[in-house]
Amino acid sequence: MKEQLEAIKKAAERAANEALDEKQIEEIRVRFLGKKGELTALLKQMGSLSAEERPKMGQLVNEAKEKVEAMIAERRAGLKQKAVELKLKAETIDITLPEKQVNSGGLHPLSIVTNDLIDIFQSMGFDVLDGPEVETDHYNFECLNVPEDHPARDMQDTFYLADKILLRTQTSAAQIRTMENRKPPIKIICPGRVFRADEVDATHSPVFHQLEGLVVDKGVTMCDLMGVLEQFAHEIYGKDVNVRFRPSFFPFTEPSVEVDISCTECGGKGCRVCKGEGWIEILGAGMVHPNVLRSCGIDPDVYSGFAFGIGIDRITTTRYKISDIRLLFENDKRFLEQF
Amino acid sequence: MKVSLNHLKRYVDINVSADVLAEKMPLAGFEIESIEKQGEGIKSVVAAKILKITPHENSDHLQICQMDVGKDAPVQIVTGAQNISEGDYVPAALDDSYLPGGVHIVSGKLRGVESCGMLCSGGELGLTEADYEGAEVHGILILKGEPVPGTDIKEVLGLNDTIIDFSITSNRPDAGCFLGIAKEISVVLDTEFKAPKTAYKTIGGDINDYISVSVENGDLCPRYMGRVVKNLRIAPSPDWMQKAIISAGMRPINNIVDITNFVMLETGQPMHAFNYNDLKNKQIIVRNAREGEKIVTLDGSEFNLTADMLVIADVQNPSCLAGIMGGKESEIEADTTDLFLEAAKFRRDNIRHTSHALGIHTESCARFQKGTDINNVEYAMERALSLIYELDAGDIIDGFADIHGTLPENRIIKTTTDKVLELIGVDVPKDVMVSILNKLGLNTTLDGNEMTVSVPSIRDDVEGRADLAEEIMRIYGYSHIKGRPMRGEVTRGKKLPERLKADKIKNLLCAAGLREIATYSFINPAAADLLNLKEDDERRNMIKIINPLGDEYSALRTQLVWSMLSVISTNISRKTEAARFFEISKRFFGELPLKSQPDEIPTLSIGIYGEDEDFFTLKGIIEAVMKLCGAHTEYKRSDEPYLHPGRQAAVYANNTIAGTFGEVHPAVAEKFGIDARVYVAEIKLDVLYSINRRKLIYKPLPKFPAVERDFALITDIETPVGDLEKAITSGGGRLLEKIKLFDIYTGSQIPAGKKSVAFSVWLRSHEGTLTEEQTEAVCAKIIEKLQKTGSELRK
Repeated sequence: MKEQLEAIKKAAERAANEALDEKQIEEIRVRFLGKKGELTALLKQMGSLSAEERPKMGQLVNEAKEKVEAMIAERRAGLKQKAVELKLKAETIDITLPEKQVNSGGLHPLSIVTNDLIDIFQSMGFDVLDGPEVETDHYNFECLNVPEDHPARDMQDTFYLADKILLRTQTSAAQIRTMENRKPPIKIICPGRVFRADEVDATHSPVFHQLEGLVVDKGVTMCDLMGVLEQFAHEIYGKDVNVRFRPSFFPFTEPSVEVDISCTECGGKGCRVCKGEGWIEILGAGMVHPNVLRSCGIDPDVYSGFAFGIGIDRITTTRYKISDIRLLFENDKRFLEQF
Repeated sequence: MKVSLNHLKRYVDINVSADVLAEKMPLAGFEIESIEKQGEGIKSVVAAKILKITPHENSDHLQICQMDVGKDAPVQIVTGAQNISEGDYVPAALDDSYLPGGVHIVSGKLRGVESCGMLCSGGELGLTEADYEGAEVHGILILKGEPVPGTDIKEVLGLNDTIIDFSITSNRPDAGCFLGIAKEISVVLDTEFKAPKTAYKTIGGDINDYISVSVENGDLCPRYMGRVVKNLRIAPSPDWMQKAIISAGMRPINNIVDITNFVMLETGQPMHAFNYNDLKNKQIIVRNAREGEKIVTLDGSEFNLTADMLVIADVQNPSCLAGIMGGKESEIEADTTDLFLEAAKFRRDNIRHTSHALGIHTESCARFQKGTDINNVEYAMERALSLIYELDAGDIIDGFADIHGTLPENRIIKTTTDKVLELIGVDVPKDVMVSILNKLGLNTTLDGNEMTVSVPSIRDDVEGRADLAEEIMRIYGYSHIKGRPMRGEVTRGKKLPERLKADKIKNLLCAAGLREIATYSFINPAAADLLNLKEDDERRNMIKIINPLGDEYSALRTQLVWSMLSVISTNISRKTEAARFFEISKRFFGELPLKSQPDEIPTLSIGIYGEDEDFFTLKGIIEAVMKLCGAHTEYKRSDEPYLHPGRQAAVYANNTIAGTFGEVHPAVAEKFGIDARVYVAEIKLDVLYSINRRKLIYKPLPKFPAVERDFALITDIETPVGDLEKAITSGGGRLLEKIKLFDIYTGSQIPAGKKSVAFSVWLRSHEGTLTEEQTEAVCAKIIEKLQKTGSELRK
């Protein structure tokens, strides 16, 4: 019987190793381990053995059964893994095929830049305000120290809607509304749309965008102005740029300065971008004119302040090297998608 | 303001190069518009004498010249010009020479004959007739005199000047003249400034025997000064004066006219010379024009005047448009013998108004508009007379007319050095402050910290300590200002609630695949017609711009749809197959005629088109925006004229209409050149901003299972699905969790005029698993409500 048992084990091993799929494995299981299987038959023959031999033989047969079961299970697992591998292999795809497009939208480049500017100034503690786009002569000019016969009015070609009602030519008008409504310390920015009667060309648009900044407090000096503008310039144009003040004239600030940064293209050596000067003009600023403070009911002998006006469109065209400002208002999807 | 550097050196020591000067002046407040170095680009061009001319064998127009160029042997140059003769002196560009514009001249053969350079015309050297007589003659420039051959042509032509164009800010009209800018240069360079002295002799007589001057409107003419000069000796003005005039961009005419122009350029005070013999009754009257009065000006144009314009008249007619242009009748001509010379102060707003109204812009009126100094009138007159005397251009009669009110005295500013410096934050030494102000002509004395500054009327712009701070800093140098970090409490700035909400809406729309656009706020008023707006539509009442850039930009928009459709039209015409756009901008409504600031209504505009887009994708976007803003929405049919009558809706947010949306009416689309289905929406953001969103509190996830029931209905074909959903909602009550429409069908098995609609409905309780009885009770209620809409369960 022992010999018989060994023969069955061998036969089972051979059969299991030769099985090619789940079905054959099942057939093998039935052939050896099933109710009418060869090992089961062997167990049935145990009655012919002596009482001493029976337990010994029983143990042997059970061991053989376990072994065959293990062999079948192993083969089964092996076959399954192989099948999975085959399936995965068959499912291999060409990863260079084009992606399924996710229709992502996005902000207009002017909004992206405006948001960046807002972030910078908000982190410095500036509140963000809005003002009306249609202004009165009073807020757009008079309170900003531009009396009616002043030649400074010629500097800005204004769109008029009615007598003394106009499209604001500068966000500075928001300065006045703020100072009328808030008491110092004041620290605000006002980004927004402004209008000037400029014919449309590559660098001029009758509609453009500014960000006005205003700080009023006791003891505010030009060094504070420089500090704020340096931080702004470093965030927008890079840590290495230098900032300089150059005297200028705006009716609502005194002293007034143009603010230049060292050319971002050549680092100040002089190139085509800066027209060989090494500096690029980025904005106008100054200390709030005493007349302006006074017209808002703030005593210029107690308080001082500074104001600045940043051209958002200019930063946008410079940042993305957009050569024609008209592209910003044309809204070609292929243009917008680049931002 | 263009000015010759050579000429400036008459008033100020300029001990640096033009380039250094051009670097320094902007830091003191005077930007440089341009620098033009005469003769720049000319290299190895010399004066040469033509020794011999022979014809060219292979050409009927070329000539071969043997030239003395100052070398041992003559040089052969071939030229095509015909205006030369042997013995002429001409400019010769030698081998390896350069002309303006980078033109490089080298030796070569012209039709087989060696030519070692080129003879030059005035044009080729960049000259005009004003630079050198004969420069614009066709052919080679024939030099005057007998220059030594080989001399650099720049020396021969006097091309050694630099013309600098200074930009003068509008607060500094005083610097917009030779003397003004020279003074600034002297302070910047810390060198001496020399104003020309005035001195002349008269031939006696008495002006009162010659002319009577009266000013009728002293408000518009605060000062009027006049002199008489007889026995004019009209001739060309001297070379130096002509050069100064040319460099400033004007043309020399004769000594008298040139003196008036030169004095204007030098002092900033415009002058006018009248032909004395043309003044009827020997009277000068400064008065308002009579309504409809006419004048023919120097340039021959005739103008109709109005009563608000100021003229200088004789007893009958206007002889001059005050401060703007003289009259033809009293023009100084070659045979004029006597003149009346005027220097005056006119009010700048009046000059500006007249100049704008008549469309005349002259050097004189530009200066009056910017503002002239009433106290400068006298110096300018004295300077002009000195020049007439110096150039022997006429005989000056004794006495003067000078009509004016009280002349302004120096403004006295009392402040302290601390008060001035506290604006700047830089410690400028006191003595430096005083010294700078004094050099600028702002007479300053110091007593301890107390400053007293006496400001002459020519520096009217200096009003107080802030101006003094600027004057000091622009000379001391803004480079002394060191940035200081923000002091005080550090807080993060706040945004207005409207901006916060707009930001959220923008983020949502971007996430939903929409691109933000930016369009102009003004549009063509014809947009109302393009959109088929009804006659009484309030959006037709657009606020018009009085001075627009053109019709297309002449009205403030009352809707954003026109701009959106224009953008879509552009994109479709450029073959972009699909797009989703949005814009947040303002619409303007005001009572016309406009008396106060209009309402500015923040508005969201959406436009989508493309294969995958339809009414319901747009509805989905709108629903998402509404939900974001916390609005309870409702949709009703609308009648927007630019939308498809059957495919549009009004959206309500908490029972207030927030906007309309839908498919664009094909007839409107056609007008925009669009042949695709386009869907647009316009939503009033003020409505959404005003919704107070409830504070968000999390709802626990359900613990008990939901029951799903399907309802298949037969209903009238006209019944809106929304009504059925409302019925289900009301019938389902608190247990209703979700409704999902899964089928709409009309066709063979459905009676005519009916449709089949099928919903899945989810019911769930938060208290326990729904029992069969509970579920049936709710379903019965739902069916009851559905039946009220005229629907029946499909069997």
